[in-house]
Amino acid sequence: MTLSFDFPGGIYPPERKVRSSQAPLQRATLPEQVSLPLRQHSGRPAVACVNPGDSVQVGSLIAKRDGLISANIHASISGTVTHVSGHDIQIESDGQDTWDTLAPLSWRDTDARTLLARLDESGVVGLGGAGFPTQVKTRVIVRHAIDTLIVNAAECEPYITADDITLQRYPDDVLEGAQLIASLCGAKQIIIGIEDNKPEAIAALEQAITRSQLASVTLTVIPTRYPSGSEKLLIKTLLNRTVPSQGLPADIGVLCHNPGTLLAALNAVRAGQPLVERIVTLTGDAIARPGNYWVRLGTSMETLLAQVGLDTDRLSGVVQGGPMMGETLDTLQRPVVKTTNCLIAATQAELPPGPQESPCIRCGACESVCPVQLLPQQLHWYARAQDDDKLARYHLFDCIECGACSYVCPSHIPLVEDYREAKSRLRHQQIETAKAEHAKHRFEFRQARLAREEAEKQARRHARLAQTKSPTSNNRADATAQPASTAMPSAAPQTDLRSLRIAQSAAKAAVRKAEKVLAREAQQAPHESHEDLETQLATARENLKVADLQLAQARENTQASTEESP
Amino acid sequence: MSDAVSLWGIASAIGILTGLGVGFGALLGAVSERFKGDDHPLVEQIDALLPQTQCGQCGYPGCRPYAEAINEGDALNKCPPGGEATIQALADLLGREPAPLDGEAPEELQVAFIREAECIGCTKCIQACPVDAIIGAAKQMHTVIEDECTGCDLCVEPCPVDCIDMLPRSTPLTHWQPVISPAAGVFASDRTLAVRGAE
Repeated sequence: MTLSFDFPGGIYPPERKVRSSQAPLQRATLPEQVSLPLRQHSGRPAVACVNPGDSVQVGSLIAKRDGLISANIHASISGTVTHVSGHDIQIESDGQDTWDTLAPLSWRDTDARTLLARLDESGVVGLGGAGFPTQVKTRVIVRHAIDTLIVNAAECEPYITADDITLQRYPDDVLEGAQLIASLCGAKQIIIGIEDNKPEAIAALEQAITRSQLASVTLTVIPTRYPSGSEKLLIKTLLNRTVPSQGLPADIGVLCHNPGTLLAALNAVRAGQPLVERIVTLTGDAIARPGNYWVRLGTSMETLLAQVGLDTDRLSGVVQGGPMMGETLDTLQRPVVKTTNCLIAATQAELPPGPQESPCIRCGACESVCPVQLLPQQLHWYARAQDDDKLARYHLFDCIECGACSYVCPSHIPLVEDYREAKSRLRHQQIETAKAEHAKHRFEFRQARLAREEAEKQARRHARLAQTKSPTSNNRADATAQPASTAMPSAAPQTDLRSLRIAQSAAKAAVRKAEKVLAREAQQAPHESHEDLETQLATARENLKVADLQLAQARENTQASTEESP
Repeated sequence: MSDAVSLWGIASAIGILTGLGVGFGALLGAVSERFKGDDHPLVEQIDALLPQTQCGQCGYPGCRPYAEAINEGDALNKCPPGGEATIQALADLLGREPAPLDGEAPEELQVAFIREAECIGCTKCIQACPVDAIIGAAKQMHTVIEDECTGCDLCVEPCPVDCIDMLPRSTPLTHWQPVISPAAGVFASDRTLAVRGAE
């Protein structure tokens, strides 16, 4: 199938992929030691479950996932754990490379629950860059009906060839992995989207599809244009469906997976091999032997680059990820993690430092290349002015941070940096507002509790008073109670009673309302915590108790005064 | 002529207009009662702008009482934890002139920390905490729940053994931290080269 649709904007940066795609896929030498961060994925960091001194094998579980969106982490070399901290686990190699794999499964005759549990155990996450746990992504069928699985092989960023090589070397396995995930999420069709600058991978895939004789798989070759590999744009290109603003592809029945992820998922099921290594593109002019390498997770970038002949004299900076969306590293003492797809060791001539930023001249070049049709120059003004309402109105959160606007800007304004900062600031504000709201509810609950305690104390005092009074009041008029009841005008207790009754019914209504809101929210989002709503309900209940006590007391008072008055 | 101003004519006109008035009035009243929106009285709106530290530095026992006082005409500048931003927001909401802050804004967010070895278990700080963020019991060690603490420092004063410190609030790595230096020269750098290559 060659039918494809179009997305607006986009740019054509120099590709520079040939350098790393020519060399065959190789294995990097086993590292002497690895440092495995506990947070290699999106969501919460994993929790370490080993202690220093423990001996581990390749694939031994060393950190368990914490909460729903998190992933297990496994030892990537065999040896001894030397260091465990809140951020990472370090392992010293014994040079043996003994494996500790799980039992192999045949996915065609295994039920979905076992397969999902296997993906969960194996710590498979999206290897394209975001690192979202694969098993969680597959579980979206609980809420959304999925009809299409898209294999995102576009790889539109310059330099990176990891997916290209994966498809050239393991086309059948990627296809089988796609079938595995498609059967798990109930997708009827599988579409592979690939840019036309990867002819070898396309040929390999075509052969694999012919071999497998699958009718449900289509290969769509799309024109090379950055950023066609962005999830939302690829869906638009392949299916002509638009992901709603701030929505997910699952909202329109689509799941996207990277070829590397599919391969890792298949290995986890078929070979019982947890995610302990990945294919990384090592490229850049400062490297003597660029290419793609199977690298154990946790390998230090410094040793890895030294292996492929890093020329430190010519090196001007190392970029992790692609040149458009990646980040420049300030140190090489960092480990390769699950989301490291590419390391570019660039020379000064290759990626020269950006020229000095000049003021925006409102040329509109950024607007015409923006693939999601935002107004980058407006966002730029509002982000610098911290005008949050306007940023929301111009849909800042729909920006995919592709960097096309910064690339074409004649004033060399680092636009994406501005957007990232504004996004983080807004997220931070949201957290702070939620925290303030939480504190408010707790304060209100405390006030209500103190009022209730006070009312109870009053009631007890009243009861004691009535007890001591009752045996004497029949014989002679009580000296202390009498002036109190006569001092009040007879109408006052009545109006008092009435307002208390109103207060009590208002408190009752508040409790009912709080219960209703909590029940509704609990039904809509059963997995989230509704602590604030629960506090509100508890506050309303306390208030109701106060109103009840006060009303009961006032009733007794009026009864007593009516009994005494005749 | 006398027909035009007949008593019947006037009476019927008054009757019809009164009837219409009463009818529509009743309709509007019923509709406004039936479709009542969530009303946010001014006090609620003011309260929403306050930082909810419940510290009492404004002279009122909590943020809500101060919001009520502002609604009754009290000054806007009595909230040090909120700082200038809160004064500005309140001034915008109420259409009043912003005044400079009465007091000093804290430089960083803080939380209370009890040096547990020194705590004698007197429960005084528990009673002082406006958001129930301290747990403990009489003659037992107390401790502060960091996530619930608003940093109001109301617990520091009542402590008879001075074992409570105000420490800067720790931010987990997952939280946003200001980006100081944008990475140099990754973006927009290929272009210059591409242009050079084309030439």
